[in-house]
Amino acid sequence: MPKMTGLERLLTALKLQEPDVVPHFEFLINQKVRDAILPGASYEDFVDYMDLDAVAVFDRTAERYEPVDASKKIVRDHWGAIVRFTSEDVPHPVETPIKSERDLDSYVPPDPDLPWRYERLRNLVKRFKGQRAIVATLIDTFDVVRDGLRGDVALYRDMIRNPEMVDRMNEIVLKYQLGYIKNCIEVGADIIVITGDYATTMGPMVSPQHTERFITPCLKRMVEYIHSLGKPCIKHTDGNLWRIFDLIVETGINGLHPIDPEAGMDIGEAKAKYGNRICLMGNIDCGPLLSWGTQERVRQEVKECIRKAGKGGGLIVASSNSIHSAVKPENYVAMVEAIREYGQYPLSLD
Amino acid sequence: MTVDLNELSRRIIEGDADKAIELTKAALEGGVPVQEILTRGLVGAMNTVGERFKRGEYFLPEMLLAGEAVKAAVEQLKPALIRGEAGYTGKYLIGTVQGDVHDIGKNIVAMMLEGNGWEVTDLGVDVAPEDFCSAVDKNGYHIVGMSALLTLTMSNLAKTIDALKAAGLRDRVKIMVGGAPVTQAYADQIGADGYAPDAVEAVMVAAKLLGKS
Repeated sequence: MPKMTGLERLLTALKLQEPDVVPHFEFLINQKVRDAILPGASYEDFVDYMDLDAVAVFDRTAERYEPVDASKKIVRDHWGAIVRFTSEDVPHPVETPIKSERDLDSYVPPDPDLPWRYERLRNLVKRFKGQRAIVATLIDTFDVVRDGLRGDVALYRDMIRNPEMVDRMNEIVLKYQLGYIKNCIEVGADIIVITGDYATTMGPMVSPQHTERFITPCLKRMVEYIHSLGKPCIKHTDGNLWRIFDLIVETGINGLHPIDPEAGMDIGEAKAKYGNRICLMGNIDCGPLLSWGTQERVRQEVKECIRKAGKGGGLIVASSNSIHSAVKPENYVAMVEAIREYGQYPLSLD
Repeated sequence: MTVDLNELSRRIIEGDADKAIELTKAALEGGVPVQEILTRGLVGAMNTVGERFKRGEYFLPEMLLAGEAVKAAVEQLKPALIRGEAGYTGKYLIGTVQGDVHDIGKNIVAMMLEGNGWEVTDLGVDVAPEDFCSAVDKNGYHIVGMSALLTLTMSNLAKTIDALKAAGLRDRVKIMVGGAPVTQAYADQIGADGYAPDAVEAVMVAAKLLGKS
């Protein structure tokens, strides 16, 4: 089979066909890990060096946060939530703008049409278009309403006591998201990824009934819009998804990430049940395995993942969340090398 | 008036805080001993809620509403608990370790403990080892419960235990750890006294550590 570009490889996998080799990319690769592999390199140079199949850009506006208290690393995000960055620089919402339903009447959502949001995406398009897939990611409606607008406890209370208010908040967020998606695709994004978790390792955060009532309809509207603009969509959600897997697949997504083995998600089972409808992405444990495991174990897990889910295409091997700062750099390199070694189509692993 | 503690229990399970307050007040005014309100009204309810969560019948919204209801009922009982009419099960200090902001699991454990008669102090999220130490030093707790939800922040469980040791406070408290990436083996390795994979078990482990099970 002739060698494909990263873009072709990913689009082929997302069409549930076999590419030349199992594709790989990550939504996030921590700078510490990147620096250990290629010191001082930019993200873009690292992607070239590792020959990753895609470059990813987030709808992150960290440089545009409004400072509230610099000494405590407290800022206001573009949804109006007060966010504190922890000692590990993880953002944590401490106060949200919608305290009561009345606040919705005067709420001004962010503007998706501001050109600066797409500066980074434009640069990636300029450098990689046509070679590596340009992946634009945005955060799920459920996540934004929970962390950006309303706060988790209030939102969960609304789901039971005031469902119409949840609908109103969903509409506000969706309007922004559809605008953002349109702009990303116009600028040159090839694939849209929607991040935001629906489940914990124990199971869905809200009941399947609430998931169907409040969460998956928003995802479906985004997916249908992305498809109407001719692009595929990958959904990311951590956790044990078995009880809501059908609901997620029914939204029409093309791919699902990360099929986390630590949350009880077996990729072989997912392939057997849903492999003819969606592409599966992820599955290499970024907890104990990539953080503390040996390179040999990593290679074995990659091989096993491809053996279970690679047949016929529809597989993108990646970490089970991201390459975070605790991942051993040599394990990430071992993972990428193993994907290329064992992932050559036609597969010969059985 | 006759007070139906089963009704109180039912209302907490349904997450009806207003009704829980009303029924708890009525029980107190009707002369029902605080201990009986706690055990028959609140503890039973929270155990049912915990079991439903564990079985996958209750999810975060239902858990949080039940938690608010039990908290509201405990507020009504507080004056009597402080006067020592029933007495708390014990004093529990809880928090998410430094660098980590995940708090739903920790909040559920805190709520289950309160519903089981524990006096719980919640230090919140991203709690530095020295803040755990100073709270233990100042207020004296029976148990310190720490949560870490990220592989990245798990090591801060060990760091906090080390800080308690360095401050000479380790022997004053029992230590429990939990969170998605934490296992019994890891808890043993870092020298914790107890580990629980979920909130229901956390309550059982806490009772055991205090010699009350």
